[in-house]
Amino acid sequence: MTGYVQFVDTAKSFGPVNVVRKTSLGLERNSLVVFLGPSGCGKTTLMRMVGGLDEPSSGSILLGGEKVVRPDRRRGMVFQSYSSFPWLTVEKNIAFGMRYRKDLDAMQKAERIGHYLDLFGLADFAGSYPNRISGGMRQRVAIARTLAAGSDVLLMDEPFGALDALTRERLQVELRQIQIREEKTVIFVTHDVEEAVFLADRIILFSRRPASVVADIDVAAELGADRPLEIRETQKFFELRNKVLHLIRNETGVVV
Amino acid sequence: MSLSDGDSDLFSSLFVFRGRASPLGEFAVSVAAAMLVIALWELAARAGIIAPQFLPSPSRVVVALWTMLTEQNLVWHVAVSTARVWIAFLLAAIMAIPIGIMMSSYRIVGAALEPMIDFIRYLPVPALVPLSIIWFGVGEETKIFLLWLGTFFQLVLLVADDMRRVPQEFVEVARTVGANSRQVMTDVALHWMGPTLLDNLRITLGWCWTYLIIAEIVAADSGIGYVIWTARRFVKTPEVMAGVVVIGLIGLVTDQLLRLLHRRLFRYL
Repeated sequence: MTGYVQFVDTAKSFGPVNVVRKTSLGLERNSLVVFLGPSGCGKTTLMRMVGGLDEPSSGSILLGGEKVVRPDRRRGMVFQSYSSFPWLTVEKNIAFGMRYRKDLDAMQKAERIGHYLDLFGLADFAGSYPNRISGGMRQRVAIARTLAAGSDVLLMDEPFGALDALTRERLQVELRQIQIREEKTVIFVTHDVEEAVFLADRIILFSRRPASVVADIDVAAELGADRPLEIRETQKFFELRNKVLHLIRNETGVVV
Repeated sequence: MSLSDGDSDLFSSLFVFRGRASPLGEFAVSVAAAMLVIALWELAARAGIIAPQFLPSPSRVVVALWTMLTEQNLVWHVAVSTARVWIAFLLAAIMAIPIGIMMSSYRIVGAALEPMIDFIRYLPVPALVPLSIIWFGVGEETKIFLLWLGTFFQLVLLVADDMRRVPQEFVEVARTVGANSRQVMTDVALHWMGPTLLDNLRITLGWCWTYLIIAEIVAADSGIGYVIWTARRFVKTPEVMAGVVVIGLIGLVTDQLLRLLHRRLFRYL
């Protein structure tokens, strides 16, 4: 097994409840991997273990060959709710990502803030508080903060789940573009099949709890790396989406 | 006389379920409601519906208040009571904020302290007057202690709850950008808690004032509680009412000032 992120016989229980079965898996660097599965199946727990926020009950997780033991800025989290700090302006939220970095001086930090404000189209809202901007912008702020922190791996827990359909589509397109441009590894948790197919280079489909891998789908091989919005209307996309849906129904016995 | 369009806008939202805020309209209603209660009270007193030794008219209370201000050094008594309340309250806050935060942050602290605090919280403060006299004598310490007692044990649990409600997502975001436990506390938790913490301080300051009478009947020779208690012994009901009104007015002004501070400090809400 190879990969930048490696699950090595990783299993997790919370007391008597077995949440993740022994799993071995390797995720390539600079790829966008979607963890797909029914609600409560344990996919978020797997992702949290990559973040160092939960500890495996057995086995381990390696990042670049190094064992993950605690959270650090190389693996940044983006959540669905409470994604940006309400008491900080957009600019200061992004700056928060670098607050504890001693390797950057003030000028370098300012440059990075400017870069991410521009990259995410937030420059005009730099002085605004999160309650004055839309939900989509708040998620952009959260992603920008994580990138500004210098994270190699973005761990995204249904980050677009609470957004309206149009904003969600736009952010999906932006996320793919930024992931490629900034050369980041993204683990994206969702139970939305269409979102998974559109975003993923690779979909890992999990069973019901305790989670185990039931399918590993190479989406990039079928849809390519370039994903304009129109790809959602192509036959190839429909076929792949249906294939994933059937897999979920057959393998997990549930409709998501 | 009919209301102009502007006036009707001012008041119309007040009748709507969860209607828009109308600060001026709400202020006008607050003043009008208070005036109405005072007018009804005055009418009831003048009509002799209630005996004056039980409920003197507002005008007699005002006269008593004026006499207390000009002849009985009321301002001094107010200053003494305010100092006692604020010393006790600040002591309670200085202790309750770190202890409450630690109780929610470290389970060992919570497990050790919470049952004891719950136990003491339910004890009525008057029941502890004899003990406090034995411990601290009849000087200022006892008065401050009784006021502190009524505030600290309530506030510490409110602070612990505030800390418990800091979203785990914020804590985890901070940890993944490199914050240690102390930095999570100072850079995230305290900021998140700020608005509710100030609200809880405002509420418990009000509770601190409610214990004033109990604190100032213990061998006191100053303070509004002492004034009220002395007036009661001679059935000087207008003076008793005047003392109560003064406490109410101090509460009203303090509350409004703290609300203003809240709005200034937490503009992002």
